[in-house]
Amino acid sequence: MPDTQIQQIVELGYGGNERLMMNMGPQHPSSHGVFRMILALEGETVVGVDAVIGYLHRCHEKLGETLTYVQYPSIASKTDYVAAMTSELAYVSAVERIAKIEVPRRAQYLRVIAAELQRIASHCLWLGTWCLDMGGALGGGATVFLYTIREREMVLDRLEELTGARLLYGFHQVGGTRYDIPAGWDAKVRETVGFIERRIDEYEAMLERNTFFVARTQGVGVISRELAQAVGVSGPLIRGSGVNYDVRRAEPYSSYADFDFVVPVETAGDCYARYRVRMVEFRQSIRIVRQALDGLPAGPISSRPGVKSVGQVRVPKGEGYARVEGARGEVGCYLVSDGGPKPYRMKWRGASFSNLAVLPHIVPGHKVADVVAIMGSVDPVFGEVDR
Amino acid sequence: MALPPVAWHALVAFVVLNAVVLLVTYVTLLERKFAARMQSRIGPYYVGRPHGWLQPIADALKLMIKEDIVPAAADRGVYNLAPVVFLVPCMLIFATIPFAPGLGVADLNIGVLFFLAVSSLEIVGLFMGGWGSNNKYALLSAMRAVNQIISYDLPFVFAALVPVLLAGSLQMSAIVDAQQGLAFVFYPVLGQLAFVAYLVATLAAENRVPFDILEAESELVAGFRVEYSGMKFALIQLGEYAHMLGTSFLGALLFLGGWLGPGPAWLGPFWFLGKALLIFLIVTWVRWSFVRIRVDQILAISWKLLLPATLVLLLATGLVVATRGAGGV
Amino acid sequence: MASNGARPAVGFWRETAQLVGAVGRAMAITLRNLFRRPVTVRYPDVQRPYPDRFRGILALVYEKETGEEACIGCRLCEYICPPQVIKVEMLKSEKRNYAKTFTLELYSCEFCELCVQVCPTDAIIMLKSFDLATADRRDLLLDKDRLHALGRQFEPSWATGTRLRDMQAPPKPAKAEARGEVKEPAE
Repeated sequence: MPDTQIQQIVELGYGGNERLMMNMGPQHPSSHGVFRMILALEGETVVGVDAVIGYLHRCHEKLGETLTYVQYPSIASKTDYVAAMTSELAYVSAVERIAKIEVPRRAQYLRVIAAELQRIASHCLWLGTWCLDMGGALGGGATVFLYTIREREMVLDRLEELTGARLLYGFHQVGGTRYDIPAGWDAKVRETVGFIERRIDEYEAMLERNTFFVARTQGVGVISRELAQAVGVSGPLIRGSGVNYDVRRAEPYSSYADFDFVVPVETAGDCYARYRVRMVEFRQSIRIVRQALDGLPAGPISSRPGVKSVGQVRVPKGEGYARVEGARGEVGCYLVSDGGPKPYRMKWRGASFSNLAVLPHIVPGHKVADVVAIMGSVDPVFGEVDR
Repeated sequence: MALPPVAWHALVAFVVLNAVVLLVTYVTLLERKFAARMQSRIGPYYVGRPHGWLQPIADALKLMIKEDIVPAAADRGVYNLAPVVFLVPCMLIFATIPFAPGLGVADLNIGVLFFLAVSSLEIVGLFMGGWGSNNKYALLSAMRAVNQIISYDLPFVFAALVPVLLAGSLQMSAIVDAQQGLAFVFYPVLGQLAFVAYLVATLAAENRVPFDILEAESELVAGFRVEYSGMKFALIQLGEYAHMLGTSFLGALLFLGGWLGPGPAWLGPFWFLGKALLIFLIVTWVRWSFVRIRVDQILAISWKLLLPATLVLLLATGLVVATRGAGGV
Repeated sequence: MASNGARPAVGFWRETAQLVGAVGRAMAITLRNLFRRPVTVRYPDVQRPYPDRFRGILALVYEKETGEEACIGCRLCEYICPPQVIKVEMLKSEKRNYAKTFTLELYSCEFCELCVQVCPTDAIIMLKSFDLATADRRDLLLDKDRLHALGRQFEPSWATGTRLRDMQAPPKPAKAEARGEVKEPAE
């Protein structure tokens, strides 16, 4: 790589002049996707990092211009493919905001249930892959990974019973949702979240006071409060650095104001703090799912008739931005409409894209092994980054 | 037997070598099934249903017919020689282990010393592999390996020396005989602590999680082995697992009483195998339960915790032996 | 043990006790999982139960009363398909229209169920199976005969166009009874 420049090199005064440029990715077991980091190493310490993205660019924003409002929600899941429901929700919320479409209460509650179940599934995957990166694919990390994947499978089975698919749900639709819950789903979901709640206790017992885990994560990758606000991270990253900001509380959407839940905030700003934030979010999501199931109102699931043709939804001229609290942070969708069946321009605000911007500030000074711990706690999904 | 001693020893060596290779191959299957059950899944299943009995054979065949890819800029001599230099010490350690009284290739009167000295020669092969691959990941891993294995060989040796002191001899069969009637690991405090220190040092000397920073699949993608494929990779795997098994045998011999156990004398080797596999399973159990720790933390554990602890243990053992008289408990 | 300085310093014995406790806890959990039943489904020896709404392979069906092809070649599915994998040619006839050719490129299909949703005659449906792995991509270019054969081969999923549209905007009671539809009870 003779022609790449590292933007910012932190001089550590190491004294040694042996600087090794090492490539981490794009094919790497712990880059969480296709992501290339060019590390400048002095011994084992990273002195500079240059992040290269764009390996997963699939022209989603152009797709948004060529597909209609009816077709796009089915593939919106491909941006954040780990927490798929939130991307769909952002898109249809933006459309509903421009066209001032009311969403019936039952549909709002169903959207909340789907979003929170998806958050549980996403955090299961986060915990599993993070421990996998830190513990080795042939080691204790793989054990935690397989346990959390076992739980994620249960949640995905519930979503499969609801929609029929495991990733490209197509659950959301302009005006409401596309599917209603089948018979017996309520009881199954309660059983699933109860089971997961008990298993979270097991994970915490395995990791919480485990000296090895704590030694790997405490004090590592500290994002200070000022840095977090300056760079613009969101989600568990900013809540782990002491800023109490959650879109569900700041700008309640889809009747989140009806539910009673705690937004966890930690002040340490290191990987352990972000871990704590996400573990609390696990339990709070389960709480929200239970409340939503208890209070599910009867009624229609969509304020518009069922989809019969491809150009059915016409949105008046205008523009709108809708944001939701995804599992990784604030996911936003900005739409410009010119009155036709397709948007004129669509832009995604990917949570992971902004979160990754913090890497060059926090990685230098750490060892190579810490880089994977930091990547895991930032938890990027490259569908969101590259779109 | 009418065979001259050289031929006899050669025959026994041949049998032992083949037995070790077979045992190592099937121990990988044991590890995979054990690890799988701990992770709520079944391990190898399809090849030789229902328990995957033929999986190791399938793996061995696959590795034999795989293409041998050599990186273009690799240092050919070093690269090609590294697996052999890695494998030979790992196989040689089995020469000194007696599987039953009188049943062994060579029951040297400096058995334990030979074992410990030869087993630490594998680091040379490891470094050759990392250097000769012309790959930055392999190089990083090899440098970490030199750091780690050398740091942990010292506590390993000291922990292994505790039963040697208590028995008063370096000869392996003599150490087992000294444990007649009692098991050293239940020797008050000293034996148990030495056993724990031995297990921890084994984990580190074998590059097992939580000390497997040198291979660290999620960072260095197989470490020094990353550029090896086919039969060379098979040799390296064989060497690693053979070393693992060898130290398990040594641990069973030094701490758990070797071939001693209730029942007739011909049951001895089976007891020995069972005890060695028990140590192996404990190491596997630890391996699949923890995340790994960073290399500077590993070295800190070794130099600041384990080495002083084993030194103190050795001193205490020496005091005990001196006040009690040498040559027996 | 070395740390990055962010942890409060505890005494040596306290730290050792914590370490032993942590090791014991983690190993106890893995030991407990050793004795739990594995969650693996031994596919293909054991089939996994599919949920009712499973979105599997696509197929064309015949009408129940007359036994004729249900597809009227209206091309609504072709227009709505996001990756545009369906191609239909209409064949006009006196009483009703048919589809002269109907090709579906299953290798590019997203399985989004939008074609099922818009079909006015419930002709295209999805099946409760995904088992169509082949070694040749041309086997996945399904033509009309293949689609009809698949419809007979596997069990259909719950979703048809009418049911999906009714779920989103329930029809007035009079219409539902006239059609004789039985809706799945929603909770």
